[in-house]
Amino acid sequence: MNGRLVIAIALLALAAALVFAARPHEVTADERIDQITTELRCPVCQGLSVKDSTSETARQMRELVAQRVREGRSNTEIEAEFRAAYGDWILLSPPVASWSGLVWLVPVVALAAGLVLVTGRLRRTETPKPDEPSSTQVAALRERVAREEAAEG
Amino acid sequence: MKVVRVAVVVAILGLVVTLALAFRRDPHDIRTGTIGKPAPAFTLERLDGSGKVALADLSGKVVVVNFFASWCLPCTQENPALVRVYERYRASDVVMLGVNYQESRDNGLAYVQRMGMGWTTVADDDGRVALSYGVFGPPETFFIGPDGVIAGRHIGPIDEATLVNAIETLRARAVR
Repeated sequence: MNGRLVIAIALLALAAALVFAARPHEVTADERIDQITTELRCPVCQGLSVKDSTSETARQMRELVAQRVREGRSNTEIEAEFRAAYGDWILLSPPVASWSGLVWLVPVVALAAGLVLVTGRLRRTETPKPDEPSSTQVAALRERVAREEAAEG
Repeated sequence: MKVVRVAVVVAILGLVVTLALAFRRDPHDIRTGTIGKPAPAFTLERLDGSGKVALADLSGKVVVVNFFASWCLPCTQENPALVRVYERYRASDVVMLGVNYQESRDNGLAYVQRMGMGWTTVADDDGRVALSYGVFGPPETFFIGPDGVIAGRHIGPIDEATLVNAIETLRARAVR
């Protein structure tokens, strides 16, 4: 009885913790700036985000993002401003609905095509099962076995 | 089996065509977001502090916007070409505008005087103009037509022939 109570309390505590963790909370301006600058590519760096770069250009971009956040612009609007100047290249993760989005689509399509080809090939190369012997063949075999047994005496 | 062969051939051909097209492109002429679109408006202070310059005031002219900095070695390399082109077009409808990039006004002004840059130079103190034009780093040159649309851009040091060619193309377009 005690054991069941402990398990029930533990499950309740777990559920409460999950609900608490998943509760909607107001995203602060700093969190939004971090989110946006994490997604933006530093134009003068090698594969670094604006958030992670210490370059002057990245600092200026962070300042611009912070100003736009203060002005009440949405994340999409702020990203669109940078995309207008630098193209989709400025986003570290290319948007799916664009030419750059092909980098997401092509591997999936290639994988699916590969699976279809391999499956088709395997089906074709499967060794055919031998046919079941007919009743006439079975009868003939039985007769032969009986004959050989009789001969052996 | 035949389908597989055709698919492989098509895939290889696609790859070859894509690479061929990509390698044919001039790395100095990367077509980012701003090409073919209205040039982002700006009003910047002159480096010598003698007032402000607004791009809108240059409407109807061919404008060559050059982003430069004294700490940028390629800027020094391209400067003689810019000076010659400025002298060639200074009495015409072509305006050259130098935008000083990521440095103090004092350093920028000293460089302008030392290098004999007679054209208008302005200070982009917070880098906003460079960001709105999609600048990667100096030197970069943008060609804006009389209609206010960015017709071309050149990344890296530019030579006289490229400058003249771009300017003349825009002037010819304006006459038509």
